[in-house]
Amino acid sequence: MAENAGLENHRIKSFKNKGRDVETMRRHRNEVTVELRKSKRDEHLLKKRNVPQEESLEDSDVDSDFKGQNVTLDAILQNATSDNAVIQLSAVQAARKLLSSDRNPPIDDLIKSGILPILVKCLERDDNPSLQFEAAWALTNIASGTSAQTQAVVKSNAVPLFLRLLHSPHQNVCEQAVWALGNIIGRWCFFRSAVCVCVCVCVYIILTSACPGDGPQCRDYVISLGVVKPLLSFINPSIPITFLRNVTWVIVNLCRNKDPPPPMETVQEILPALCVLIYHTDINILVDTVWALSYLTDGGNEQIQMVIDSGVVPFLVPLLSHQEVKVQTAALRAVGNIVTGTDEQTQVVLNCDVLSHFPNLLTHPKEKINKEAVWFLSNITAGNQQQVQAVIDAGLIPMIIHQLAKGDFGTQKEAAWAISNLTISGRKDQVEFLVEQNVIPPFCNLLSVKDSQVVQVVLDGLKNILIMAGDEASTIAEIIEECGGLEKIENLQQHENEDIYKLAFEIIDQYFSGDDIDEDPSLIPDTTQGGTFNFDPASNMQTKEFNF
Amino acid sequence: MELNDANLQSLTEFLRKTLDPDPTVRRPAEKFLESVEGNLNYPLLLLTMLEKSQDTVIRVCAAVTFKNYIKRNWRIVEDEPNKVSDQDRTAIKANIVNLMLSSPEQIQKQLSDAISIIGREDFPQKWPDLLTEMVTRFRSGDFHIINGVLRTAHSLFKRYRHEFKSNELWSEIKLVLDTFALPLTELFKATIELCQTHAADVNALKVLFSSLTLISKLFYSLNFQDLPEFFEDNMETWMTNFHGLLTLDNKLLQTNDEEEAGLLELLKSQICDNAALYAQKYDEEFQPYLPRFVTAIWNLLVSTGQEVKYDLLVSNAIQFLASVCERPHYKHLFEDQNTLTSICEKVIVPNMEFRSADEEAFEDNSEEYIRRDLEGSDIDTRRRAACDLVRGLCKFFEGPVTAIFSGYVSSMLGEYAKNPGENWKHKDAAIYLVTSLASKAQTQKHGITQANELVNLNEFFVNHILSDLKSPNVNEFPVLKADAIKYVMIFRSQLPKEQLLQAVPLLISHLQAESTVEHTYSAHALERLFTMRGPNNTTLYFTKPHLSFLNLNLFFKAIMRSFSLLQESIVPYIPTLIGQLTHKLLLVSKNPSKPHFNHYLFESLCLSVRITCKANPTTVSSFEEALFPVITEILQNDVQEFLPYVFQVMSLLLEIHSNSIPSSYMALFPHLLQPVLWERTGNIPPLVRLLQAYLEKGGASIAGSAADKIPGLLGVFQKLIASKANDHQGFYLLNSIIEHMPPESIIQYRKQIFILLFQRLQSSKTTKFIKSFLVFINLYCVKYGAIALQEIFDSIQPKMFGMVLEKIIIPEVQKVSGPVEKKICAVGITKVLTECPSMMDTEYTKLWTPLLQALIGLFELPEDDSIPDDEHFVDIEDAPGYQTAFSQLAFAGKKEHDPIGDSVGNPKILLAQSLYKLSTACPGRVPSMLSTSLNAEALQFLQGYLQAATVQLV
Repeated sequence: MAENAGLENHRIKSFKNKGRDVETMRRHRNEVTVELRKSKRDEHLLKKRNVPQEESLEDSDVDSDFKGQNVTLDAILQNATSDNAVIQLSAVQAARKLLSSDRNPPIDDLIKSGILPILVKCLERDDNPSLQFEAAWALTNIASGTSAQTQAVVKSNAVPLFLRLLHSPHQNVCEQAVWALGNIIGRWCFFRSAVCVCVCVCVYIILTSACPGDGPQCRDYVISLGVVKPLLSFINPSIPITFLRNVTWVIVNLCRNKDPPPPMETVQEILPALCVLIYHTDINILVDTVWALSYLTDGGNEQIQMVIDSGVVPFLVPLLSHQEVKVQTAALRAVGNIVTGTDEQTQVVLNCDVLSHFPNLLTHPKEKINKEAVWFLSNITAGNQQQVQAVIDAGLIPMIIHQLAKGDFGTQKEAAWAISNLTISGRKDQVEFLVEQNVIPPFCNLLSVKDSQVVQVVLDGLKNILIMAGDEASTIAEIIEECGGLEKIENLQQHENEDIYKLAFEIIDQYFSGDDIDEDPSLIPDTTQGGTFNFDPASNMQTKEFNF
Repeated sequence: MELNDANLQSLTEFLRKTLDPDPTVRRPAEKFLESVEGNLNYPLLLLTMLEKSQDTVIRVCAAVTFKNYIKRNWRIVEDEPNKVSDQDRTAIKANIVNLMLSSPEQIQKQLSDAISIIGREDFPQKWPDLLTEMVTRFRSGDFHIINGVLRTAHSLFKRYRHEFKSNELWSEIKLVLDTFALPLTELFKATIELCQTHAADVNALKVLFSSLTLISKLFYSLNFQDLPEFFEDNMETWMTNFHGLLTLDNKLLQTNDEEEAGLLELLKSQICDNAALYAQKYDEEFQPYLPRFVTAIWNLLVSTGQEVKYDLLVSNAIQFLASVCERPHYKHLFEDQNTLTSICEKVIVPNMEFRSADEEAFEDNSEEYIRRDLEGSDIDTRRRAACDLVRGLCKFFEGPVTAIFSGYVSSMLGEYAKNPGENWKHKDAAIYLVTSLASKAQTQKHGITQANELVNLNEFFVNHILSDLKSPNVNEFPVLKADAIKYVMIFRSQLPKEQLLQAVPLLISHLQAESTVEHTYSAHALERLFTMRGPNNTTLYFTKPHLSFLNLNLFFKAIMRSFSLLQESIVPYIPTLIGQLTHKLLLVSKNPSKPHFNHYLFESLCLSVRITCKANPTTVSSFEEALFPVITEILQNDVQEFLPYVFQVMSLLLEIHSNSIPSSYMALFPHLLQPVLWERTGNIPPLVRLLQAYLEKGGASIAGSAADKIPGLLGVFQKLIASKANDHQGFYLLNSIIEHMPPESIIQYRKQIFILLFQRLQSSKTTKFIKSFLVFINLYCVKYGAIALQEIFDSIQPKMFGMVLEKIIIPEVQKVSGPVEKKICAVGITKVLTECPSMMDTEYTKLWTPLLQALIGLFELPEDDSIPDDEHFVDIEDAPGYQTAFSQLAFAGKKEHDPIGDSVGNPKILLAQSLYKLSTACPGRVPSMLSTSLNAEALQFLQGYLQAATVQLV
């Protein structure tokens, strides 16, 4: 550890002169947690799963009854509290059927009718698993609606009962409970503002204590009610595939959210399951499993280490070449998160031959994949010199430069980081290689983009390239001038952003003013108060022996 | 300070006094206001005044004072007292928005600025209701108020365009979006509708279009950092309307002004910027709209006129097309041959034409023209935008575009040939087109470094450029001449050597052209050609034999001819002439905009001084009397353009004096040592010369009455010696100090002088430095004696003297050039050989013969003019940037100076005599040292010297 800390220190020091520290080099995907954009990427996870009506023999007679009788809501309500088990079951079933219709299930009408407490009550009926099942199904579909509708289910105190149902000996009941929980947890995590209210109500009703906070606390509350163990116990060879999909889906939702991340013990509990699920051939399960890993690896270096220690990385990396784009996307995110960690953690991924997958990812027809692939590489080029060399040896530099020149804006931005990072962490010969690959023209081109941060990153990179070039700086300066970069830097001296114009001025001043460095700085006299140069016979500037 | 009428009254009076032109009234009032601004209620009194005063002038004055007060005091700096009381802060924030919105425009602007200053500090945390307060005004329906809100919002939000992203910034933007985005969108839609309702009411339209422009600017700021969810969801509304506005025209809004952009132009420019922002950053989301915008912008370009007022719009619009056309997935929008042809024909060619505005600049504002045309400060010009579009198109369509333009070039040249007098502008456009088409990469040092292979540059040169250069009348079609010269200059690395050689004499003949642009370009082109390097970068491309046919003095001969005509007849008129010249000088020093005029003015001044004082040196005082007031004024006002001239005139005058220095000069002496003067390269040569004149005429006076200035003087030496370019000037100064200052006045500084020189020798020596160094140490030896030289060296570091002899003097002395310099070295070395005991009986003795051999080499061998590869350019004296080159006055020239003078007629004889003297002091030693290690050839030369001096060594 001490050795590592020393190394780390050394690295920080060696970057000092180049203007960026390790913290800013290794970048998490969203450096800014406030989002202005629409969140689109994770939508598939958040989609509520309404369980549609399936035609089955079992249902057919009830169905015809239902149609024949033209049951009203009032009748359902009344019958659902009936002492007669058959009448009660068929009423609850009727409600469930109403809620399962494809288009516009009358969720609000049912909630208004006051059916929720009745359905929740049915969950307690261990003596009648069919009733429990139908009630759970109905509640699930209600919880699958808008956040207000989900909230209504929570308010009705269903959560602890659902959790209790996880222990039911009847598999269909369990499954339904899982499904409903998924909707609830998912909802909580997604609608953070709504979550707050949910939790308030929830905690108030169940624990009669005050609201603790927002989203993750809700998740942790559910965890605290003991959801994990029973949930994981379902994962066994005999579990039906549809049920396993739902279990995995709940696991993903448990892993989401990093402020704060899920409790360590939970992560420890879940990881072995993920290590098993990652072998699964079912695409849905696989995708969810990998997303779960990507969430866990997004929770800081400690969590990254837990994931690494679980031994899953060697199985995760090959998924980068999976034929399903969905799997590739999730896997790329997961490995990408890991390499935001320390050099050692990054090395674990590199040791799995991860870079061999990148030629394909960098030429992938989907721009989003290109972008994340370059983001991944930007964190490798932020690493140590061996890691930089690995990127060079894998032949990826020309491909990064290609993205720098031709990629869409988001990808270009990541490529700018990748290049700029390399100029900081790379050795002289590594940076020279970059220049040989003709990085400068496309790099300079980005100096005119409408994004201050990119402009700064590129200026930093150019400055480092010039510093690294030493005596050859004038050659680099010439390339920069030839491709129109100098003109852009000159214009940046008028930029509104102080950091940018200072940097631009510095570069111009040091590398583009006059043909060579004219003055010997050690000889330039100071200026006195009286307004003359100060010739000080006492200064005795001779510091070392003269030797011509 | 109470908020009462008495205080209002008294503040009003003070405010009124701050407007008084008389400083004795104004200053105290300003002081008073400053002294009371820390008081409670002061800002509120100002606000009351700007709201209620009956006097409009006082209202505006109060508004400005208020804004400046806020600017100075609002920010709370850590560890400093809060300068505005919390009570006032709260009151200001509670009232200012209302007040701003109900004020007339002049006051509104000041208050709007004040709000944004406060907002920058307090918004959003400490001013949470600002936005909602503003947004509610959108519903007022009063566009005077609405525009006030929009303007304030713009000044609050525009920083989103350049700040780095951070959680803090994005949280603020999110908050702004939540309250502001929807009302802004509603306002946008409503305003557009109102434009339709009021389509015939020009006054209403003007207000509405200002709102639209402001709304578009806000759109840009709010969308800059990232694409906000709200705007993504409402893209249809915004883009459809933007598109509509781009294609909109309303006769009522067209202005007659040719220069100033109208509301329509401003709005459309901003929309182009907005579209460019989306195209660059949010390509995926914007894709469905992009083709529509391309078409609209292109149509806009086709239908927009040549007037200057459209420049910004046109260049923004072209830049948009240029940025889109080089993206792979939009290639298809441009690919069609007809599209390409029509872009070339209707967008590019018309915008490359030479307009009357360009012509005016060429004639009347040549510096600006040169800056734009040659130095690339033409970022926002149409030509530049068109040029960028050509480059963008060439990325994918180099072949077709070149072919299309070749057709245009031939037809434009054809037009020109038909009637050059009428159609010369066609040729100008043709040359510009060829240039922009051919150049792919460019540097200052080499010109165009990569050219489009499809353009035959040499053929174009031979057929179309050479003819203009060769045309006997250099003043005909100056624009085309300038184009031709520029062509040679920028394509110098692409054209064959023989063509360049052919061009050189032609360029020289253009130095005499009347047009400033033309002769400046020639000078510039020549300078560039002469500094070109050969393929291995170590030698000059043009060597001496190439250029032996040139007479570079041609230019100055032309000037001198006209002056010498004057010479005979001028003397009687000098007094009148001087009066007029100084008057003229005083006038132009207020606005020194015409460099060539200034130059000639000073040349004629110098010539007058020379002609008159040659006949009668005492007349110099009458010149000084006339000129000193002007000179003092120029120095005091730091008229940078004139300083190099003034120093030369002063040198000339001072040098005419016989060995004394008038007190008027001494008064100026301290000013000449100011560091700021020495930071400008153009000042250095004339200033050094002037200081040398001071030392020559008044070394003793300086040592006497200005001894405290000696460190400053040596400081200048130190400054110059630090620079590779200026070190020789530092030595000039140092030599004069050694030669003319009384030794005791500088004794305390000597050691440090040598330490500095050694340091430079150690860290960054160049051949030029060594040559100057050798001359200096030998001069020192001549002046102070060989023993003094040896002692000071060895006092700095033991055995230093031997090291300098061995490593510097012996191997390098052969490089010293110039008869005076060689003479100094010869005398100095002779002294070391013959007057320095430690050369005879210490370990230095082994260097005696090699030093003698080197001295004989200096006498007999050809000068060693080899220069290391890496310092070819250091050696060019006063390396000519055109600024400095032109400030060298031909008629202020200085005569050669020999510090040794006639005391030593022939240094070889001196050597012989000195050796003889030495040999008599220690008989037998000298002949034995000569016979053991001096080589035979050298010995033979030495015998010759001894014979000539008729002495024999013993």
